[in-house]
Amino acid sequence: MCVKWVASASDLLVDPATRTIDAGRAHRAISEYDRNTVEAARVVAGHVGGDLVGLTFGGPEATPALKEVLARGADRAIHVVAPQGARIDGHVTAHALAAQIGRIGDVGLVLCTEGASDTYAHETGPRVGELLGWPVVTNVRELGVEGTTLHAVRVLGDVLETVECELPAVVTVVPEIGPAPIPGLKALLGAGRKPSEQVPVGDLGLPDHALMPRTTVTSLLGFVAQRKRIRIADGDAREKVAALMSGLAQEGVL
Amino acid sequence: MSRAIVFSEVPQLVAELVTTAARVADEVHVVALGQPSAASLDGVASVALLTADAARPESFVAAIAARVAAIDADVVLVGATVTGWEVAARVATVLGVGLVSEATALRRVPGAGWQAERVVYAGGAVQTESWSGLAVVTVTAGFAPAARDVGGAAPVQVVPVEVDARVRVVSRSVRPHEGVDLAHATRVVCVGMGLGSVDDLAIARGLAEALDAEVACTRPVAEDREWLPTERYIGISGVSVRPDLYLGLGVSGQVQHTVGIREAAVVVGINTDPNAPLFGVCDYAVVGDLHEIAPMLTEAIRAVRSGGAVESAAS
Ligand SMILES: Cc1cc2nc3c(=O)[nH]c(=O)nc-3n(C[C@H](O)[C@H](O)[C@H](O)COP(=O)(O)OP(=O)(O)OC[C@H]3O[C@@H](n4cnc5c(N)ncnc54)[C@H](O)[C@@H]3O)c2cc1C
Ligand SMILES: Nc1ncnc2c1ncn2[C@@H]1O[C@H](COP(=O)(O)O)[C@@H](O)[C@H]1O
Repeated sequence: MCVKWVASASDLLVDPATRTIDAGRAHRAISEYDRNTVEAARVVAGHVGGDLVGLTFGGPEATPALKEVLARGADRAIHVVAPQGARIDGHVTAHALAAQIGRIGDVGLVLCTEGASDTYAHETGPRVGELLGWPVVTNVRELGVEGTTLHAVRVLGDVLETVECELPAVVTVVPEIGPAPIPGLKALLGAGRKPSEQVPVGDLGLPDHALMPRTTVTSLLGFVAQRKRIRIADGDAREKVAALMSGLAQEGVL
Repeated sequence: MSRAIVFSEVPQLVAELVTTAARVADEVHVVALGQPSAASLDGVASVALLTADAARPESFVAAIAARVAAIDADVVLVGATVTGWEVAARVATVLGVGLVSEATALRRVPGAGWQAERVVYAGGAVQTESWSGLAVVTVTAGFAPAARDVGGAAPVQVVPVEVDARVRVVSRSVRPHEGVDLAHATRVVCVGMGLGSVDDLAIARGLAEALDAEVACTRPVAEDREWLPTERYIGISGVSVRPDLYLGLGVSGQVQHTVGIREAAVVVGINTDPNAPLFGVCDYAVVGDLHEIAPMLTEAIRAVRSGGAVESAAS
């Protein structure tokens, strides 16, 4: 199960004048929907009697992801550590994750979320699958394993597509796969006792070109909404409706 | 001489991608699966028609990548559908190149390669990415107008290919679908998880009827609760709307949702939580219970629209 350590989108501080972003103080956690994926992975691993390994790739700041994924039910966790401030894109990420998955050995199923809450690029799972040479099944909302066969229901807009393939495979899931329960105190304490490991990305034996990003981020500008923000909070419901009605009349939208 | 390759399993998207490709490259080549129709589009230089026995589009990855190499393309444009996301990422991986997902701008920088913009943090920011050499870029529907069918006759080469048949389709079913055109609705009443029950949809429908509005919703209302069809949810993974008026009932206003209402002229939020994020990005923030406010609002709108005056806020 691959989880990404991200800054929360709702905590980014955007300077209204320059639109520059300060993510320094943003709350960090594993990507929102990765939590649903971990839970789905935990259920599948339990069903087939397998071990669930939580895997993350990122700079030293991503270390807390280990604890979170363990608290959410992984049996062990691995952080492939990129050098501080290293440039990372989807190409590099997929090479690092695929190489580490190859080192674990005997992996039957890799789960990623369909998209991460920062990049939402929908690329990591399919890229990892391609590098491993395994079948790829994306956008899955129902998942089951029987013997060595994977059964999945994919969401393609208005179409639900039921597919199957043999393991090993790479699957990306959508959050509708199931809820992400909040870990209890016991799970949080237990997480500290489960095995976790940090592997410098340089130890994976990847060729230089695999760790060379293909695209470079040359600018990042925050979004500033231009809205009136008129607050209608006083009085009873009738008064609020009257205040809103006069506003809407002024806007000419009635 | 620069070349673009275009791929989508959706014919309408192929036509749109041809327009986008023609803006950034001298020659536009189409890779198609069973649709030679692209040959008659304005600006198409060639069509490669990949053929194999009853296969899903995702199983053509190797053949598409081979075509990109054969044409010696400078850029690959793929329609951003669920299938397109997978094809694009895997083709990029086969070729060892970068991927820009859902570009909102794409340009050549003379002498310095390429640049694209895309939304990150679910709409919280816009990122510019630069690269030189080949890359794969996905583009969503509606990014460019469809290339016109000018009855052209670009050469069509039929290419029988080997496909990856490891993933087998067992069945397909279509979810409830109404064909509603939310993207062009002039008014939208959007319900969120603040709605008490499925029966309370009647409140939103009443308000929508009074306003001649379409009913829309947030992702969990459609995907988790299944109270409305998925084509009605607004946001980064749903529809973007640009109405004169958006009214959000019990919508918290996370950026993944509100990115889809940025082009709305007037945004109204009705929420019990005075700190709802929607209130930070709306024009009128009504703090209150939707089950109480919305029916009264419906009555007030009906009264005005049937000829009455707007009651003054002070009375
Ligand atoms: C990668 C990613 C993609 C996503 N894509 C989308 C997307 O495309 N579209 C989308 O919508 N979401 C999307 N989401 C989910 C998004 O983050 C929010 O979780 C979702 O929009 C919240 O929906 P909601 O406002 O209906 O529910 P909630 O967040 O649960 O909000 C319900 C609101 O109702 C209010 N409320 C409760 N009772 C009442 C009442 N009686 N009267 C008035 N107000 C009341 C509450 O105060 C609360 O603010 C995405 C998330 C991620 C991570
Ligand atoms: N650096 C990373 N480490 C571990 N998993 C990742 C990483 N980046 C992406 N993923 C996985 O891939 C998913 C989709 O990411 P993306 O392709 O960037 O949208 C994430 O939700 C994770 O499951």
